Amino acid sequence: MNTLTMKWLLRREFWEHKGSMFWAPAIVAALLVLLVGGTMIYGLAAHGVPNTVHINGRLVTHDALSAALPPEMQSKVSRLAGAMYLLGGAPLFIVMAGVMFFYCLGALYDERRDRSILFWKSLPVSDATTVLSKVITALCVAPVIVLVLDVIASLALLFIGTLGLSLNGIHLFGTLLTQPDLYLQPLRLLALLPVYAIWALPTIGWLLLVSSWAKTKPFLWAVGVPLIVLLLVKWISYTLENFSGMPLNIMPVAQEVVARLLGGSVPGIWFSFTEGIPAAIRESARDQGPDMGALFEASWMTLLTVQAWIGALAGAAMIFAAMRLRRWRDEG
Amino acid sequence: MSTVLSAKGLSKRYGKRVAVDGIDFEVPAGRIVGLIGPNGSGKTTTLKAALGLIPFDGQLSVLGFDPRTQRDDLMQDVCFIADVAILPRWMRVKDAIDFVQGVHPRFNREKAERYIANTKLKPSMKVKEMSKGMIVQLHLALVMAIDAKLLVLDEPTLGLDIIYRKQFYQNLLEDYFDEHKTIVITTHQVEEVEHILTDLMFIRDGKIVLAASMEEIGERYVEVMVSHDKISAANALQPIDRRTVFGKAVMLFDSAAPGSASRQQLAALGETRNPSVADLFVATMKGTYA
Repeated sequence: MNTLTMKWLLRREFWEHKGSMFWAPAIVAALLVLLVGGTMIYGLAAHGVPNTVHINGRLVTHDALSAALPPEMQSKVSRLAGAMYLLGGAPLFIVMAGVMFFYCLGALYDERRDRSILFWKSLPVSDATTVLSKVITALCVAPVIVLVLDVIASLALLFIGTLGLSLNGIHLFGTLLTQPDLYLQPLRLLALLPVYAIWALPTIGWLLLVSSWAKTKPFLWAVGVPLIVLLLVKWISYTLENFSGMPLNIMPVAQEVVARLLGGSVPGIWFSFTEGIPAAIRESARDQGPDMGALFEASWMTLLTVQAWIGALAGAAMIFAAMRLRRWRDEG
Repeated sequence: MSTVLSAKGLSKRYGKRVAVDGIDFEVPAGRIVGLIGPNGSGKTTTLKAALGLIPFDGQLSVLGFDPRTQRDDLMQDVCFIADVAILPRWMRVKDAIDFVQGVHPRFNREKAERYIANTKLKPSMKVKEMSKGMIVQLHLALVMAIDAKLLVLDEPTLGLDIIYRKQFYQNLLEDYFDEHKTIVITTHQVEEVEHILTDLMFIRDGKIVLAASMEEIGERYVEVMVSHDKISAANALQPIDRRTVFGKAVMLFDSAAPGSASRQQLAALGETRNPSVADLFVATMKGTYA
């Protein structure tokens, strides 16, 4: 495998899936900015900046309101905004998880269905390289695209919000721009990519395996088989328990396996597969606002669990199986 | 010249059905070989085995490689068109050229662009906007710009207009083929390819029933327009096929068959000529369609 071939294979994946990988999140990002930002701007334009507001039945003038917001409160708001602003684009990551799911499901199935696999196989590109290009697309290319869109959309929303506040006499630009978090958050998000990749590997592997194996209806196979197995396990453990009176604890294991096969491409899901978000972070979040740095560290710490690597190994094995299947699978 | 393709006891079964039944053949370099047989006779299966697309039994060597285990090496020197209209539908002409140039070390971009300039194809055109004939033109432009040692064409013109079909074979012969290249074509439209072939292989029910060069075939098979008075004498010489054209009996003789007549004997029966491959095909495949 050489890097030039890989570069072209990745480009080819992007050409084919430009609609779902770039345009779908880009349109969602634009809608977010338009709707959320637009609401803020509309509110200010239609109603003007209120000079007086009623708080608990007392008339408070605008100047009194700004004066009432002490500088330390202002800096707290700035710190929160700087730490949290990337959450503004959170819906994009939900879009990405869905796009990834269907991308992987079709990656090795569609080419057999439309027989274009015969064209791809007429070129000197090995099956391993081809499948690997699809794994890299799912684990790196698509998340990075969404990340960039998230940063752009979130910055736009932050700017609109801050502008609205400063029109109200609350000037946060100065304190906001000095927040180190403002600049660190995109880098932290980028540095979470390996964590995401490790946790998403079982799902990507499972979907690619089904994609290269299924003769028809890969979605039904990918989702149906785990659910039916789950039902069977439930039924077996229920009957055995009734007979022997001994509780069998295979249900939670089966549930976790199925969740990891199907849900691994959702960013942040690693917390639900491990101990969860550490209690210290949750407590401090209650009065300080979430400490994104600590959350980032906690995410990396999930890679110290055995579950992370068992899943990653299983994912890698399924990807390898998908490569072998593509080698011999007859088209059509 | 060396052997490009050699098979010994090549077999392939799909469940209980035997698609290819222990065939042996050799294809030397620098030939254009037609692998001809009715639908379901095992043509495509044989080629798929040679291209490393399916597992098989027996021995098969393509350019010295085993297609089962050395496919990645093999594909550096082999190119194929497996079927018309299989280019990915989302692809643009310029994407296709860029991509093949990016991944294929033997691709000549100027050649592909020169070929495309002679067609109605535009660089920004997508495959799904093209007619079947245009897709073939694009695919052919890509393949002909690749300097491969072996080109395999499986039913390359199926479902195409006669104009595209003629042009396809003409381009193949004029712009692509030379003594260092080998082309294997499967088709069941014999009359289209017979003028460009150097060798012929008839395949029937998974077995090769005839393998010879076109010169050998010209020497071996004779078609005679038998005059009325000599019909019974001609029948005694065991023709392999008989038909009637404008009231005259036309008989096909295999001069290599045991106990058959020589060319001089046959010439005494009437006017002789070389049979067309299509007539030979029909005579050889008699009973397959029954």
